[in-house]
Amino acid sequence: MYRHNLSCICIVALAMIVSGRLNAATAAISGSVSVADGAPVTDAVVFVQSPVPEPDKSRPMQVVDQVNKTFVPGLLPIVVGTAVRFPNHDQIHHHVYSFSPTKTFELPLYKGEAAAPVLFDKVGAVKIGCNIHDWMSGIILVLPSRHFAVTDSSGHFVLDDLPAGTYTVVAWHALSKLKPDETAQSVQVGAEVATVTFKLPLAPPRPRPAMHGNRADP
Amino acid sequence: MRWWDARTLRARIFIAFSVLILAVLLATLGLTQLIVGRDTGQTLSRELRTTGQVFESLLRERAIRLQTNSTLLASDFALKRVFATHFDPASYDSETLASAGLSYRQRIGVQLVWMTDEKGTLLAASPGEGRIGQSLASFAPLKDALESQAPAIAVVEVDNELFQMVVVPVLGPDVIGFLILGQVIDDRVAARLKDDTHSDVTFLTDSRVFASSWPDNSREHSQLTRVLPEVRQQNPRLLSISGERYLSLAVPVVAQLEKPLYVLIQGSYDRALAPLHTLQWRIAVIGMIALAGALITGVLLAGGITGPVRLLVNAMHEIPRGNLRHRLRIDRNDEIGFLARSFNEMAEGLEEREHIKDTFGRFVSRDVAEAVLSGRVPLAGERREVSILFQDIRGFTALSEKLDPVALLRLLNQFFTEVVAAVEAEGGVVKQFTGDGVMALFGAPQSRADHTERAVRAALGIVTRLASLNVLLQSAGAAPLQIGVGIHTGEVVAGLIGPDERIEYGVVGEAVNLASRIESLTKELTATILVSKEIAGRLGPEFVLGRTALLPVKGTSRPVEVVEVLPRPLPTLEP
Repeated sequence: MYRHNLSCICIVALAMIVSGRLNAATAAISGSVSVADGAPVTDAVVFVQSPVPEPDKSRPMQVVDQVNKTFVPGLLPIVVGTAVRFPNHDQIHHHVYSFSPTKTFELPLYKGEAAAPVLFDKVGAVKIGCNIHDWMSGIILVLPSRHFAVTDSSGHFVLDDLPAGTYTVVAWHALSKLKPDETAQSVQVGAEVATVTFKLPLAPPRPRPAMHGNRADP
Repeated sequence: MRWWDARTLRARIFIAFSVLILAVLLATLGLTQLIVGRDTGQTLSRELRTTGQVFESLLRERAIRLQTNSTLLASDFALKRVFATHFDPASYDSETLASAGLSYRQRIGVQLVWMTDEKGTLLAASPGEGRIGQSLASFAPLKDALESQAPAIAVVEVDNELFQMVVVPVLGPDVIGFLILGQVIDDRVAARLKDDTHSDVTFLTDSRVFASSWPDNSREHSQLTRVLPEVRQQNPRLLSISGERYLSLAVPVVAQLEKPLYVLIQGSYDRALAPLHTLQWRIAVIGMIALAGALITGVLLAGGITGPVRLLVNAMHEIPRGNLRHRLRIDRNDEIGFLARSFNEMAEGLEEREHIKDTFGRFVSRDVAEAVLSGRVPLAGERREVSILFQDIRGFTALSEKLDPVALLRLLNQFFTEVVAAVEAEGGVVKQFTGDGVMALFGAPQSRADHTERAVRAALGIVTRLASLNVLLQSAGAAPLQIGVGIHTGEVVAGLIGPDERIEYGVVGEAVNLASRIESLTKELTATILVSKEIAGRLGPEFVLGRTALLPVKGTSRPVEVVEVLPRPLPTLEP
């Protein structure tokens, strides 16, 4: 599903970013993400669509840790081209895998730092799990550029360090019923901080296999 | 009497026993039928209801087991990997997926394994390969699972067969597809359930039977669908199927079918009643034995009663025949024995009385003896009017000197026999013999209204008999006897007179003496029969009276008027 949609978005966004480039000054976009009735949406990722992936050379390696049989962080937005390490800080083995078309990989049973880093070279969401612990679940969201932000507990975000210009901004959430390009908004960024508001309809949280009745439990 | 004649004691005893036994038997059978029949019905209903509940839990357990198995299968990492290949058409391996489905079918013993992608499009099917590529998003259990992203269970129809279906999501770690497993509910399942519950089991709607423990017989199956509307209630109903009665209960089964699905649970009412019928048979047999016992008891008991009764009746018949010596030999302590002893005592009493009467009669006249023995003679004495007759042989002293004593006594006895006969012929009593004469009483002890006429007729009788005797005496060359008879009537005191050991019936009074005096007058008047005026006055016209005389009598101051009574003249022949 993603693979098709994202390729469309990339083409549309390309023109916009080209136009944005005309403005040399840096600017910012701030805003909030909420559901229809106004409740804030936490952990939504708002990012600028980029027609051409722009790897971020400054942060070539990121980490998804495994602590107490849980992926930490549960949601990791990265820029395409970033490698991710999966260190295991538990005293037991884990078997990390993903069947997502964006990046299918498998790190068979290992402990500590034994697993090699995995390079995420395509844009899209990668759902990761552990073969021997059903409740372990995480998402690595591979984004086209470094211009992204994660909403805080009040649903707010700030995208700064943007050159002035016109951008296509989209919002993503794990439970969103809308595909990212369906949320796309065009934003004119100048000297002032532009404001964008997203309304995201969310699906109910999916039942997950419980760990002793509570995922947070050790 | 024939033994079955209802009037015989035997038959009555038998009938009484039989009626009693039959009543008890019928009451027992009726009560057993009522109580056990009702209890059996209730027990069977309860069992069916329990079976109904067991069914629901059996189906639920089956579903849970199926779900557990499916979840375990769906967690298989290799399966997940094969499932995930459908994300990339380049690497999608439908053949592997289909063969994996077949393998899983065999591994957990289910009849259906389907696999869909995360949107419900069928990727692999075993059986049902023709459906691959179709969307099952609206197919009952998958629809639920798609909505909830969680396992779902449903009973559905697939290719005319009933399946219990389980859909579990395959997580990787989000839902990457669905695994659908189905267990068929067919006749074998119904037969197995029948083994477990001892009830016939049918899965059906009102239009068709999906599975049944009944033999695959369309006639019975159509009967089952027809009876369904009748039994869709809480309480079991009694239905007749192929001539056998079944208590039937329909329990609804949650299913995704066009028509509501029920499981029809049926227990044979007739088979449940079989122990009752066995019991009733046994009771009936015991009753028959009791009846036979009653017959034998009746015969024996009646024999024990009627046998002695017949003996008693025969003995009774001996009494009027005069056989007073007959005795019963029945040695029993019951009522029959008491009756026999009473009979014996009665016969003894009768015999004793007869003996006394016989002995007594030799010394007193039979009439007196009877009157005394019958208690008609008042012991204290009574006043009553009687006629007293005195008779005497005239010239007896001279006669006694002429005849030798033996011949004299023979003559006397011959004469007295005639006298006694004449007196008794008139109901009189010869009170005493006075050597050559007798004293006779009329009207005592037996009261007689016409005692005066009886006394006169007796006197005439004596005279007549004497004439016959005299003819005999004369022919033997002896002189004829001459007698005198005096009769008087009057009030006397009658009763038992004398000391205890020699007590005798007698009369005393002036009339007795006067009668004796009148007799002595016959010699003076040369009359044969003389009666007092009191007698003569009461005689009817048939008596012939002769002379009348007024004569002085010894012992009285007044003369006595006497009348001669003559023998009746022979009727003269008409010229």
